[in-house]
Amino acid sequence: MSATEAPGGVTFLGVRHHSPACARLVAATVARLRPAYVLVEGPADLNGRMDELLGDHELPIAVFTAHRDGTRRHASWSPFCAYSPELVALTAGREAGAQLRFIDLPAWHPALSDRANRYADADQRYAEAVRRLCATLAVDNVDALWDHLFEIGPDDGLAERLDTYFDVLRGESAAGADDTAREAYMARWVRAARHRAGGRPVLVVTGGFHRPALVRLTAGPDGTGPDGAGPEEDDWPEVPAPGSDAVAGSYLVPYSFRRLDAFVGYQSGMPSPAYYQRVWEDGPRRAAEALTEAVVARLRTRRQPVSTADLIAARSMAGGLARLRGHAHPGRVDVLDGLVSALVTDALDQPLPWATRGTLAPGAHPVVVEMVAALSGDRVGRLHPDTPLPPLVHDVDAELERHRIDGREAVELDLTDTDDLARSRLLHRLRLLDVPGHTRESGPRVGADALLTERWSPAPSGDRLARVIEAGGYGPTLQDAVTARIEERVTLLGADVDGLATTLFDTALAGLPEHSTRTLTAIARATGAVTDLRALGRALAVALALWRHDRLLGSAGTAPLGALIIAAVRRALWLVEGVRATAAPADPGRLTALVAVRDAVRHAGPALGLDPADALAVAGRVAADAGVPPDLRGAALGLAWSLGDVPDAARAVRVVAAPDTLGDWLGGLFALAREEVVSGDAALLTVVDELLASMGAHDFLVALPALRQAFGWFPPRERAAVARHVQALHGGDAPPGDLLRLDADPLLVAAARAAEERVDAVLTREGLWEGDGT
Amino acid sequence: MTALDPTADRAQRPPAVERAQRPPAEVRYADELAALAAGDGDPRPPGWRLSLRAARRFILGDPAAGIRRKFVGDPSLIDRALVALATSRGLMLVGEPGTAKSLLSELLAAAVSGDSTLTIQGGAATTEDQIRYSWNYALLVADGPSPRALVPAPLLRGMAEGRVVRFEEITRCPLEVQDCLLSPLSDRVLAIPELPGADAMVFAREGFNVIATANTRDRGVNEMSAALKRRFNFETVFPIPDLGTELELVEAEAGELLRRSGVTAPPRRDLLEVLVTTFRELRTGITERGDAMERLSAVMSTAEAVSVAHAVGLRGWFLRGESGDAADLVACLAGTAAKDDAEDLARLRRYLEQQVSRRSGAQWRAVHDARHLLPG
Repeated sequence: MSATEAPGGVTFLGVRHHSPACARLVAATVARLRPAYVLVEGPADLNGRMDELLGDHELPIAVFTAHRDGTRRHASWSPFCAYSPELVALTAGREAGAQLRFIDLPAWHPALSDRANRYADADQRYAEAVRRLCATLAVDNVDALWDHLFEIGPDDGLAERLDTYFDVLRGESAAGADDTAREAYMARWVRAARHRAGGRPVLVVTGGFHRPALVRLTAGPDGTGPDGAGPEEDDWPEVPAPGSDAVAGSYLVPYSFRRLDAFVGYQSGMPSPAYYQRVWEDGPRRAAEALTEAVVARLRTRRQPVSTADLIAARSMAGGLARLRGHAHPGRVDVLDGLVSALVTDALDQPLPWATRGTLAPGAHPVVVEMVAALSGDRVGRLHPDTPLPPLVHDVDAELERHRIDGREAVELDLTDTDDLARSRLLHRLRLLDVPGHTRESGPRVGADALLTERWSPAPSGDRLARVIEAGGYGPTLQDAVTARIEERVTLLGADVDGLATTLFDTALAGLPEHSTRTLTAIARATGAVTDLRALGRALAVALALWRHDRLLGSAGTAPLGALIIAAVRRALWLVEGVRATAAPADPGRLTALVAVRDAVRHAGPALGLDPADALAVAGRVAADAGVPPDLRGAALGLAWSLGDVPDAARAVRVVAAPDTLGDWLGGLFALAREEVVSGDAALLTVVDELLASMGAHDFLVALPALRQAFGWFPPRERAAVARHVQALHGGDAPPGDLLRLDADPLLVAAARAAEERVDAVLTREGLWEGDGT
Repeated sequence: MTALDPTADRAQRPPAVERAQRPPAEVRYADELAALAAGDGDPRPPGWRLSLRAARRFILGDPAAGIRRKFVGDPSLIDRALVALATSRGLMLVGEPGTAKSLLSELLAAAVSGDSTLTIQGGAATTEDQIRYSWNYALLVADGPSPRALVPAPLLRGMAEGRVVRFEEITRCPLEVQDCLLSPLSDRVLAIPELPGADAMVFAREGFNVIATANTRDRGVNEMSAALKRRFNFETVFPIPDLGTELELVEAEAGELLRRSGVTAPPRRDLLEVLVTTFRELRTGITERGDAMERLSAVMSTAEAVSVAHAVGLRGWFLRGESGDAADLVACLAGTAAKDDAEDLARLRRYLEQQVSRRSGAQWRAVHDARHLLPG
């Protein structure tokens, strides 16, 4: 193992985070060296709490760090599972009697500010080198490459292979300023440990990417680095402390396999934690079998047929692939490839997630979905009962006390009152964290009229403390936790715009005015993928209402909401132009969406820089396109009209004058531009009146339901104005209200009309009447 | 079984092949195959010309040994395909049209059997005769059924000679015709009931297997019988995943086509980038920014992109003496992407109006300005 040993008895092990092979190597190295010091890449501010971390927890767990000061908010995790090399180094080191130290900068330090997961893979830094290695070894991606080189290969020579691998990667890529700062800091710890050890062995376990730099930084013969770093310090380096105005804290929280998995999350480490757990416990051969069993069991519970013949085929495929790829026994990708070959007898809609290293998109083949689920596992960690409670528990209690909510009686809140508003926000934050205690009975809701009171009733639950501890994984204070929770919810919701609109409303209810940028960017990005115009319209309406009016919830005029509105308007215009069907009934949902677009352009357009010309161009094209449903064509015309581009509506209505399209077209128009219609020169109404007058009785009946719906967009006063105009055309002078009121029973009128029609039909048949209405 | 002697016609490949427009893969890459076979130390499945590893290098390339890369795709796809061919199931390549399924099947057959010509072209009029065997009717009438009168079709030859048989567009055949593959694939035997004695059964020799291709557009694999599906390992071939690779491929292929058409101006790279990006977005229904949109129903494959690039170059050169511009691109897009489908035309117009207008870059703007060239 000379390759990894630097002068002065310091052994450097470069590892991949969450790699069972590296964890095995670490354990073996500790047993062999029995080092005096074990130094591990991890937050140095946790050195005093090693006992807490190494307690008897059910893994996975994580160190959660939250930091907030005047300029920046940061939350990050350092997750540990049973096969984390870092954790193995600590436990094995402790058994061997070594002194344990974390040597990296604290998680809140600016050098780590862009990392949500300390132990995420750093592979974007050496993508090109990995790409070439993959091409040379004919594997799909870095995960398959890693398995091929390290996880399922023999253990002898592993350390040398790891060193070569990381030297190649590091040699090709420049480290950024953040990495340089971390490495300089870690090197100081290494030098101090070497000095204190006085010739006894020191083991340094860090990410493989950092190893070459650490070796270089500590290689000086007299204890100085090649960069002229000072003489070897006897004292440990000081641990940076957060600024005096900052709130920072780290504590242990339960973690889950799901969050560890690269197929699911953002900034994750190795994929497929359930599989690697088996590799760690039972070795790769048994893990491959267990993987097959787990997939088959899942498929059979889902009633997907898996025959014995399929299993034989899968097994022989996996074996053949392993031989072809030079594996002593099937690895993760061999088993997956074998199963997918044998079980999928359809064309796939998307590439396999383990080939592209992507997350699973909606519509993935059910077999693939179950395979990914089996790989990921559903294990959730649990902290030892003696672990100090996360600070959230205390924060929640303090907040409830401060706001005088004791959970025994119902809470009536007047949202215009500052104190009550704060209490409402507190209750909403607890609701969003799924902490039981109160049930909301009434209050402001999405899409409903503004309500200024809120009522909560008590709902005591034995789970309450457990739920708060669980929620402690999201942050030390209620505000941090609920923000993190909302971010997670947004990620899980994906492109579900209805859900996102609700979430947006929830953030407002919970009083989180500085919605984190990530949340709103995610909503804006999801907006780009929406295909349902109605859902998008609802979301836009919510966002616009919050942006325009919500002084109460503190969201009026905020910039991220503005960005969302712009994105939603663009998307809505895009979707509108894609709706095609010549004879489709009116769809109030999409008309409402266009109304939302109109309002956004009209009210928020000038402030946000939304150009009405874009909307007008789309409206012009849609209104003129005969392949578009009539309600949408009318609505497009109305959109243009309401945005100030006065069209020749009287002419346009003649094009759609057929009985089955007229009402829908008018409905669209009235939905968007009824004020313009009523206040304009009424030429349109004249034409409509003329068209209706020329319709036969049957045609009129065909047109009637849609016409009723169309005129339903007018409130009664405007309907009366329309009636007056029509009356003027026909020279009547009764009050228009009388025209709209019917004294007789409508059924009687209908019966009379039917009788008249029968008489007309008989007369026509007998040639006694020409049927021209005279 | 003299008529079925595999060595009979192999030895004398018609010399015409050498001057063919497009010789089969085993002729085009004869030297590479020979070099791979000579240096092949890995175990070979029975009846195979190359080991699996050598076959993989033949397809994915090996710069160190001077082997060109012939197929762009995930290496694991090739692994699975090769292992499937070595097992007792056939290989079914499915995917959108124009994803180089046929090329892959040809390369696999050339690597495994050294012969990619045992090919059945599926179609509505394909009959069992064209798949299994038929008769020389003069001899049949004169002598009665005999091996001499038998005219073997690709399946029978592949079984008797231990070679890979390619079945192109299998789903375009009637279901009952497809099902004649059932017993050759499962029992590895083909009955010729007309012949007496031992000749009545042809047992497949080692090395026989079937590579079928099917595209997901005209008639997907859904209509295939479950019994037949079960005898195949399905592999979906996807379009090229990254822009850079696809752009390079289109540039190289279109450049070659233009040279052969006598055009000396090479295609403009910035215009090709617009072309390839447009194709990719309309094919996947996802824009660069991540917005979702409707996919075109027309086939937007890499092969189609090459032909549009070719057409753009031809228009530019023969109409104006330069490499084509954005206006040519729009005009050609209408022909390829929209064909005569009004829906696709509307989608394309919407794309040009609303998506292209937001891109920066001179060529994108030029394409947007030329949008009125779309017909209708």
